[in-house]
Parts: sequence; structure tokens; C-alpha cells
Amino acid sequence: MRIAVCMKAVVEPEARIELSAAGELQRSELRYELNEYDLYAVEEAIRANEAHDAEVTVVSLGTEDVVQSLRKGLAMGATNAVHIKTDDDLADSAASAAVLAEALRARQPDLVLAGVESDDLGGSQVGVLLAERLGYNCATMTIGVEIPGPDAKEVKVRRELEGGNYLDIEVALPAVLTIQTGINEPRYPTLKGIMASKRKELVEMTPAELGFGQLPAARVETVELSYPPPRELARMLEGGPDEMVAELLRLLREEEKVL
Amino acid sequence: MSVEIWCIAEHRGGVLDADTLQLLGAARKLGGTAVAVVCAADPAPLAEQLSTSADKVIALRHEALSDFTPGGYAQAIAPLARERQPGAILMLHSHFLGRDLGPLLASRLETGLISDCTELGWDEGLVGWRLVYRRKLLAKQKAAGAPPHMATCQRGAFMPAEASDSPGEIENLEAAIEADSLGWKVLGFEEAEVGDEDITEAEVIVVGGRGVGDQETFDSMRELTKLLGGALASTRPVVDQGWADRGLQIGSSGKTVRPRLYIGMGVSGAIQHVVGMRESDVIVAVNKDARAPIFEYADYGMVADLKEILQRLVEQLREMRG
Ligand SMILES: Cc1cc2nc3c(=O)[nH]c(=O)nc-3n(C[C@H](O)[C@H](O)[C@H](O)COP(=O)(O)OP(=O)(O)OC[C@H]3O[C@@H](n4cnc5c(N)ncnc54)[C@H](O)[C@@H]3O)c2cc1C
Repeated sequence: MRIAVCMKAVVEPEARIELSAAGELQRSELRYELNEYDLYAVEEAIRANEAHDAEVTVVSLGTEDVVQSLRKGLAMGATNAVHIKTDDDLADSAASAAVLAEALRARQPDLVLAGVESDDLGGSQVGVLLAERLGYNCATMTIGVEIPGPDAKEVKVRRELEGGNYLDIEVALPAVLTIQTGINEPRYPTLKGIMASKRKELVEMTPAELGFGQLPAARVETVELSYPPPRELARMLEGGPDEMVAELLRLLREEEKVL
Repeated sequence: MSVEIWCIAEHRGGVLDADTLQLLGAARKLGGTAVAVVCAADPAPLAEQLSTSADKVIALRHEALSDFTPGGYAQAIAPLARERQPGAILMLHSHFLGRDLGPLLASRLETGLISDCTELGWDEGLVGWRLVYRRKLLAKQKAAGAPPHMATCQRGAFMPAEASDSPGEIENLEAAIEADSLGWKVLGFEEAEVGDEDITEAEVIVVGGRGVGDQETFDSMRELTKLLGGALASTRPVVDQGWADRGLQIGSSGKTVRPRLYIGMGVSGAIQHVVGMRESDVIVAVNKDARAPIFEYADYGMVADLKEILQRLVEQLREMRG
């Protein structure tokens, strides 16, 4: 069984995001890390590798910023890695899916896993669009996967619905599943894993090598970035912790009458 | 006649998801004809219900639409959308329709989908505004290419359409679906876990977010809940870490609560959490980051280390109670 995991390097959650005078994102200032949702996807693939001897390829599209995330996937136990090099993030989901599909097509994975969304842009589209490009079935919001065996023709998928309800479905392979946090407990790479990852294959390719003379046109363009309009903030309590807590308890008791 | 805006109705088990009316509200706000599109094995009751708020209802019927499958919905809607060319197609950014069907339909229609919009407009095509980079920036996005353009709408972002005196006309159509080609077989549905305590009943809720840092600190918050006579609850990452049971999770994929007092500690205020708590009467937030979005929803805020606040809350409440 062949499994591919799509990973994205996202802007660090704590990052301070600044716009230039022209309203452009100051990318050079930003640091990137592996998208949290994708971490769970990698773990799920590695578990399948352990159970069914699956080959796991981690794939990422982006600048040099993604290499660290690919290395992490290898250190966790992925078999090999593919880096599709671009000069910039492809902010458009359809373009990203088109390029990823060409990189995966030759490998013919039985199962492709990806995070449900990216932590920074949160479009939650690439998995589904990729499945369409490859002609695969697809399910999003996966919180459980049962792979019956190495030659599985279908997988049982537990999808999470709103309100924490679940829908169990059977999806015929080949398929793309998008993975939600909490499906497993991602492992930390061990020293041994990190050492072993250095000998693993990390293939670099460009969109041009995949047949894209120019990058696919965006279906959604970002025309403007701005700071969200300020909203009314909470009444912020002042002073040291003792004073803040005393004042809070007074307010809750005397003004709000909830204590 | 103004341009048609199709709003895909969300429903399960014969019950309409009332937030569908927000789509119709968004369609009216865009100045379009608000058309509800309902796909079901027996769409008549839902169509009737929608007709009181929509200008028009398209009811697509087929046996294979008895369960939601993205393939079934896409096969029902795509050919009709190609033929009639509505100006835009809207759906909720829900787990059911928004995430599975939205991108699938956009792909089949070769059009752009703007995700999780909080505002919509026209500018030679559909434009949508959405919060990105953890709500630190607002992006204005535009769908490229020929219509119908698509968008998913954040729950709660648009006012629901009001019911009108003259119900919209209902058009009944039989969908053409190849049931063998759906790729999904629905096996069953299971209700969310409730857990030992039902947090939706509590009048006071103390919530630990990822900022609590470890199991021990999360557990130590029980002291505070005992003193307040309330319940302990959490955000999703705390459940994912295994520090709390799933039944304690507040948010879009957990419980919706409306206590008299909500105290959040180490909670950043992501929209998926906020939708489950913003109706609370009094909201208190403790976060070490003054820019955390939770302060936009709170009545009282403290920029501090939660451990220091937790300890003092326990001490001072003990004193107060004698
Ligand atoms: C489809 C979907 C459904 C989801 N459903 C839910 C849901 O139902 N419920 C939910 O909660 N989330 C849900 N999420 C996840 C959601 O997007 C956020 O990731 C999550 O709410 C963040 O939880 P948090 O605030 O605990 O953690 P973080 O966002 O990591 O925030 C931690 C906060 O703690 C603060 N902090 C750290 N240390 C301290 C300290 N010592 N003292 C004080 N403050 C400190 C930090 O400044 C930060 O603001 C969902 C996501 C998706 C994609």
C-alpha cells in the first residue's frame, strides 16, 4: 500500500503579522512550522506503515521553509519526501491542488492524507480539489480511519460533524482523506529517527518539471489585505495579580451579581 | 429580475439547519434573488419550510439523496448550475456541506470558492472577506473566471432572511444521479459523547485552553470550579492532548454553552471555540497575550499568567467564603 501525506509549512501561530505601507504581508519576517493538522495526518500514515507495511511519502509545495517540515515527517518515520519548489506560497487552493496532483500522479498512492485545513489561511479546500484532480474519492474531517489490510479496496472512515457528532462511512480506494486533530497522538521524532531521516530520499522538483510552463491560474485572488476593524475590547483589569483578582471578584459580585 | 443566488440548504434527518436562513439573508443583502436549493429523497417538507423565507425554492429529488454524500449533491446541483448560470452559489462553512461539497462543486463547475466568509459583495464578480492568520488579517478575495462564483459563509456572520407573507414558488425537479459512482457508503451516525458532567447545564464554567500547558494545571482548575459551584470545560487542543474528555469540549465540534459566568484561561479565542460560548452572560478571559482575540468577546480581561490568577482566585474566594 502506498500512502502520500500532503504537508504545509504555515506561519507560526504566535507570529506578529505586519503589513507594509503598500498593504503587503512582510513574509521575510515570518517563521514557518509544520501545520498542526498535517502532523496528525503524518502520524496516521506512519501507523498504517507499521500495521500494513505501507510506503509513506510526505509531499510539500513551497519555498525552502517547507524543508524542515518534510524532515520532521521523515524523522517521524515517513519513507521518503518530495519537495515541489516554488518561490512563494501559492495562496490559491486550486493552483496548489493542480501542482500536487501532478507530483502524486506518477506515484499512484492508494491513500492520500492531508490536514483538514491550514492554520494560517484556513481555506480547507486543497484535499478535495486534489482528489478531483486525481479522480479519487474524498472525505474531509476524518477523526478515525480503519484500513482492513495491505490490499484494502476500501477504508472505514469516521467523520466528525458539528456538535461533536460522528458519521461513519466506507470510502472506496484510492481516496483522499483530510485529517482532524485528535485522531491520534503524534509521536515526537526520536534521536534514532532523526539520524535515520538523514539517509532518506528527499526529492526536489519544480512545477516546470511537472509540466507547468507557468503556474496554474488562481481561481481565487486575494485583492487586498488589511487589519480587521478594531472591535470593542473587554474592560481590562489593571495592576498586579492580587489587585486584578480582587477587582474581578468585586465586579462579579457587586455589578454582575453572578457570585 | 435580479441575478439568482443559490443557497444550498443544510439538513439532516429531515430537520433543516436553521443557519441556512443566514445564506438567504446574505443573498438578499447582495441584492440577488434568494433561491434555496434543497437536495433530498423527500424534499417537499423542507422546500415548504424554506419557501417562507426564500424568493424561490428548487427542490431536487432522488432516492440517492436520502443521506448526504458530496458526490450525490454535486451530481444533482452541477448540471443545473451549468444550465442556469446563477450569479453565485452559497453554502455554510459547515462540516457537512462547506468542507466536502463546496470544493467538490467548485471543481466540477471550474469556478472559484471563497471559504469561510464573514462578508460578501460584488465587484465584477463575487468578492468575499475572510479572516486569515488567526484573525490577525482580513483578506478581501475575488473569484476569478466565469460565474457561478461560490462562497462558504461563516455561521453567524449574516442575519437570517426574514419570513415574508408571500411564500416563494417551489420548483420540483428529479435529479439524475448515478448511485454507483458516489464513492461513499454511509454506515451510520453517532451522537456526541456527553461525559460524566453535562457542561451545558452549568451556570458557571471555567475553561482551560492550551495555555494551561499540562494535565496537572488543568486538573488543578477543579478547585476553582468547586468554589464557584461550576463545571470545568476545555478547548479542543486540551482534549486532543488527552488532558480532558471530549464531552468537556466547547465549540463548533463540541458543546454550545450559555452559562451566567464563563472564565477562560489560556484560551486564544479561535472562532470555532467562540461560537460555542459567545452567548454566555458574563465572560472573563485570562491570557498572557494582550492581542489574543478572546478579549474581543470578553467583558473583563486580564493580561497575566493564568497560574498566578488561578492561585489567587482560589485564595481570595476561600477568604470570601470564610
Ligand atoms: C473544523 C474545526 C473544528 C474545531 N472545533 C473546535 C471546538 O469545538 N472547540 C475548540 O476549542 N476548538 C476547535 N477547533 C480548533 C480551533 O481552531 C483552535 O485551534 C482552538 O480553539 C484553540 O484552542 P486554545 O485557545 O486552547 O489554544 P491556542 O489557540 O493555542 O491558544 C492558547 C492561548 O493560551 C495563551 N497562553 C499560553 N500560556 C499562557 C499562560 N501561562 N497564561 C495565560 N495565557 C497563556 C496564549 O497566549 C494563547 O492565546 C476546531 C478547528 C477546526 C478546524
